[in-house]
Amino acid sequence: MKRFVGMWLVIGAVLLGLFALFEVFYLFAGLAASVAVSLGAPPFYGTAIANTVTLMAVLLMTVAALLTVAERKWSAAMQDRVGANRIRVFGTALGGVPYLLADALKMLTKEATYPAARSRLLFELAPVMAFAPTFALFAVVPVGPSVEVFRQPVALIVANPDVGLLWIFALAGLAVYGTTLAGWASNSRAGLLGGVRAASQMISYEVSLGLSLVGVMLAYRTLNMQDMVVAQGNPVFGPVPALGVLLQPLGFLVFFTSTFAETKRAPFDLPEGESEIVGYFVEYSGMKFGMMFLAEFVEVVILAGVVTAVFLGGWHPILFEGWLKDHLAPLAFAGIGATAFMAKVVLLCWLQLVIRWLLPRFRFDQIQALCWKMLLPAALLNLFVTAAAVLIDPTLTVLAWVGAVEIVAIFGVTAAVARSPVAGGAHGHEGGHAAHAAGH
Amino acid sequence: MPYQLKNQPADAREKLYFPEIFRALGIVITTFWRNAFFSRDANPDVLARDIRRSRVTTILYPEEKMTYAPGYRGLHRLVPRADGSPRCVACYMCASACPAQCIYIQAAEVEGDPIEKYPSKFVIDELRCVVCGFCVEACPKDAIRMDTGEHPAPTYDRGGQIYDEKRLLRGPPVSYDYDPWLRRGARLPEPDMKRMRDLARPFAKDANDEFSQTPGFSVRALAGEAKVRAQGDSK
Repeated sequence: MKRFVGMWLVIGAVLLGLFALFEVFYLFAGLAASVAVSLGAPPFYGTAIANTVTLMAVLLMTVAALLTVAERKWSAAMQDRVGANRIRVFGTALGGVPYLLADALKMLTKEATYPAARSRLLFELAPVMAFAPTFALFAVVPVGPSVEVFRQPVALIVANPDVGLLWIFALAGLAVYGTTLAGWASNSRAGLLGGVRAASQMISYEVSLGLSLVGVMLAYRTLNMQDMVVAQGNPVFGPVPALGVLLQPLGFLVFFTSTFAETKRAPFDLPEGESEIVGYFVEYSGMKFGMMFLAEFVEVVILAGVVTAVFLGGWHPILFEGWLKDHLAPLAFAGIGATAFMAKVVLLCWLQLVIRWLLPRFRFDQIQALCWKMLLPAALLNLFVTAAAVLIDPTLTVLAWVGAVEIVAIFGVTAAVARSPVAGGAHGHEGGHAAHAAGH
Repeated sequence: MPYQLKNQPADAREKLYFPEIFRALGIVITTFWRNAFFSRDANPDVLARDIRRSRVTTILYPEEKMTYAPGYRGLHRLVPRADGSPRCVACYMCASACPAQCIYIQAAEVEGDPIEKYPSKFVIDELRCVVCGFCVEACPKDAIRMDTGEHPAPTYDRGGQIYDEKRLLRGPPVSYDYDPWLRRGARLPEPDMKRMRDLARPFAKDANDEFSQTPGFSVRALAGEAKVRAQGDSK
């Protein structure tokens, strides 16, 4: 019971800490904006630089690094184990967080070996190519709403181009190069095969990844990520906001599944398969391997951020939103919004881990079959239905009803007990009849 | 929990694949919830653990140790007499019975006694020992037992695994009314006596040598008892 209370206290403390952190981020961005204005530049120059430092370098890297620890501890909890607990600080394992430092130290001080026949430039370039595009993906993910700080418009988003979603597609497509080049430049058969597997898998899932988001574009009539999040706050029926997951449940499922394939994590970890089928980074060691490894976790966080922004209402706290908006200062509300965004991101990262331990690795043909025979038709169907619904009713009410019906159908099919105890008996009965008939 | 699998073709929902994943999600999330938010029962008797909340079955080894079954054959010991000298009479039965030939004994006569012998050296090479327990069976004097419930401790050199009488003679003394030496009053030389008395230190806490020779021992029955005990405590 002590642990139960303690866990909730920790969660509360983390949320409070995040809130304080985001307030600081806002103030920092506002300060940078005023400096930019005083230098005669547009204010978003300042906010962009400030947000690059705070959101990408501090927040994203910290969350991704913590995710390596969380993976150990959360996986352990899912498997009835205790998890990493041998590093003790004053007698407590601190939830395994000190392993973060230990891992970093290990990666940095480990000997790096290189295959002699490698393609030197590409071999050095591949970890960067794996890391940079995913990292840059985060630039268009809106973490917090736009508010006035020091009389300057400030939002926790690095860049807010009108082509936000296209930027995501473009950079997600670039991420293939890092893995493929890593496999090819290693000049090793295992690495090359891993790279080829990675390329085919990622390019296949690129299609459903893109198509599943087209429905969202149609529904919100924008590609701009911040606008999309703002649009998700509008009510559709009664007080229920037009969340992406309500309007596009099928699109959400397809996109979420495709992000798994894009992050190359279980059950789609065919390109790596650390333990059995070695993957594209088999020849990498030391910090280069660390980069590949960290890129994967960064990708998990970023794609969780994209899913949050597009489907889960981004920085809308959703619960008590109207009350919060009315009773709090805009800056405080913005901080709560950013905290809500981060909470959703962490929840999604956790969900990815749950699914990782839920499903065994797919076979390669199963991966392709899932993509081309299930996700792609589902995405196309979703696209047609969405287009029709938006055409009939531009206020999105029809689309929301369609989405609600889809959600109810999914839960209904899930909850229905298809395999009743009589099923086996009935089968046997039929068989008996058949035998009987054959006898006649 | 093991459950019986029926080899029947997949039904419509299983072919749909996703509903089954959602159902399984529920299971994994429940497990996570139980283990992350509730503390682990650290009872070293894993079978008796309370799994109503956390189901973590880990035993954090160096800090927590499983209790071994009473019949567990652990590290050997030479059983001391009531006065601290070894019960061993250096008859070489154990050394003869040992299939690994890991026991070395050097007999010495007890001063002033025409009959009694004692082992001036008794060495067991634990690296060669196959832990078969034949020496315990062979001993006519109940002088060697494997009831310590310990492993041979790990060492950095092989010499550390060679246990001599100084390390073997320990644990609670055992005495029987019909022990012949009790009728004769023979004693070891005084310096040896003192040394052996010093060495005959008490045992680790869960040594239960009363049960070690008990026939009909059952782990299941013990676990059942432990469970009953645990339920009694919680009430």
